[in-house]
Amino acid sequence: MPPLHSHQSAMADVGRVGSLDLRYRRDGSRTILTTSRCSTPWHFFPPAYLDDSGCAVTSLVNPSGGFVAGDHLSIHAALEEGAHVVMTTPSANRIYRSLGEDSRQSITLSVAPDAVIEWFPEVTIPFAGSRFVQTMTVTLAKGATALIWDSLASGRVARGERWAFTSLRNEIDLTLASGARLLERYHVRPGEDQGGGLLSAYDYVASFFVVSDAVDLDRWPAVRDTVAGILDSFGSDLLGGVTEPPAPGLAVKLVACSAEALVKAQELLWEAARRAILGLARPALRHY
Amino acid sequence: MLNTLSLLHGLRFIDSFFPSGGYAYSSGLEAAVQGGAVRTGDQLSQYVEQMFRHGVARREAVAVGIAHEALLRNDVQVALAIDHELHAMKLGQESRVASQQMGRQVVKIAAEPPTAHAVLRDFYAAMKTDRAPGHFPVVLGLTLADAGWDRGETIAAFCYQTAIGFVSAALKLLPMGQREGQHLLERWTPLFDECAKEATEATTMTAWSPVQDIYAMRHTRLESRLFRS
Repeated sequence: MPPLHSHQSAMADVGRVGSLDLRYRRDGSRTILTTSRCSTPWHFFPPAYLDDSGCAVTSLVNPSGGFVAGDHLSIHAALEEGAHVVMTTPSANRIYRSLGEDSRQSITLSVAPDAVIEWFPEVTIPFAGSRFVQTMTVTLAKGATALIWDSLASGRVARGERWAFTSLRNEIDLTLASGARLLERYHVRPGEDQGGGLLSAYDYVASFFVVSDAVDLDRWPAVRDTVAGILDSFGSDLLGGVTEPPAPGLAVKLVACSAEALVKAQELLWEAARRAILGLARPALRHY
Repeated sequence: MLNTLSLLHGLRFIDSFFPSGGYAYSSGLEAAVQGGAVRTGDQLSQYVEQMFRHGVARREAVAVGIAHEALLRNDVQVALAIDHELHAMKLGQESRVASQQMGRQVVKIAAEPPTAHAVLRDFYAAMKTDRAPGHFPVVLGLTLADAGWDRGETIAAFCYQTAIGFVSAALKLLPMGQREGQHLLERWTPLFDECAKEATEATTMTAWSPVQDIYAMRHTRLESRLFRS
C-alpha cells in the first residue's frame, strides 16, 4: 500500500486520534474547570458537583462507545493547588476486534500540592481478537493524593467470551515528589495461557491504588485492616489482597467471579478509602 | 560457555549453602496453601509454572539480564535504573523486603574482595548510601557477570534458585517428599531454559500473575506463619 499523503493521513486520523485536555483550579470551596479542549471522538461535559465538598466530578465521554483498531485517544489533566477532581466514564470501555493494529489510550495526570485526583472509570472489556495498549502516568506534587482504580474483564462474559482477546498492555505509573514510585505494568496474551490456571476461576481483575504523602504514615495500617476486611467479606466470589506499596499508601489487587462482586468491591473500597483519607463519603455517580 | 573457575566462583552464590536467607521466604506459597489454592504437587507445579512464565521470566529475570549487561558495559547507572524500576514494580511489601534482604546478603560478600568489578562495588556503595534498593535479581546479575557467567547462564541460574526456594517451601507446607521435589525441578528445567532465552531478549519488565500476587499480599495477615513472605 502506498504511503498516505499528509492530508490523507490527517483525514484518516479524524475520529480516531482524539485528545482531551483539562485544567482545574480551586476557587473558594469549589474546584472549577479553567481550561478544556477536546477533539473527536471525545465529547466534553462540564463537571458535576454531586455533594457539598466542591469536588468536580468529570465524566469522560467517548460517544463512539469504545476503541476500534488504530484509535489513539489521550487524556491530559492538570490539577492546580488544592483542586479536587473525580474522573469517571459513563459506561464500560469496549475494545473491539482488531486485525492487526493496536487501540491506544494515553492518560497523563499532573497533580499539584494538596490536590486530589480520584480516577474511577468503568471496566475495560476487551472483545475477542482485540489489541489494546493503555498507559497512565500520574505525577503527584508534595501533599497531593491519588485514588486510582483500574479494572479489566476477561471479555464479553455474558456471551461466554473469556480471555479471547489477542493482546492487552497496561501500565500505571505513579511518581511522588519524593521520587517514590509505584509501577504496575502487564502484557496479557491469553493465547499464551495467561487466562488459564488459577485465573480461570475468575472473570475480572482489578487494581486499586491509594497514594499520598499527605497522610501520616501511622494511619495507613488501620485503613489497610479495613480494606482487608472488605476483601474477605466476599467469600468465594472474590479474592483480594492489600499491601504497602513502595510509595506511601496502599495497593489492592483483586480477582472477582462476577461483575456484581467487582462493582460492589469498587464501591466498598472507594467508600472506605475516601472516608479514611479525605473524610468524605463516596459520591453517587448516577450510572444507570 | 563457562570455564571451571568461573563456574565455581558463581556457583557459590546460587548454592543453597550460601547464607542469602532465601529459606525464610515462600513468595506467597504459604498463603496459597492455607487458602486452599495449592494442595498437591500438581497444583504446586501449575502455580509455580504460571508464576515463572508470566511473572518471574518477564520481570525479575529481565532485571537479572539487564544488570548482567550493565556490568559488561561498565555502566552502573543502568544497574541502578533497573533496580529502582524493579523496586517500583514490586508492589507486595513482603516480597519487596525479601528481595532486598537477599540482595544485601549476596552483595556484602560478592563486592567484598578488592578484585570485585568496579560496577559491583559502585552498586554496593549506592546501596549503603540508600541510593539503590538493592534487589536480589540485580545483585545476582552483577555478581554472576563478574564471575564470568554469560547472560543466559546467569538468568537460568536465577530461575533455578528461585524454583529451589519454592520446592524448599513446599516440602514444609505440603505432604510431599524430596523425591517429588526433585521430579518437579526436573520437569521445570526446560522452563528455566525458555525463561532464560525470553528474558535475555527482553528490555522491558512486565508481570501478569494476579492470583499469585494476591496470595503474596495476603500472607501478612495469616494467623500462623512458617515463612516471612
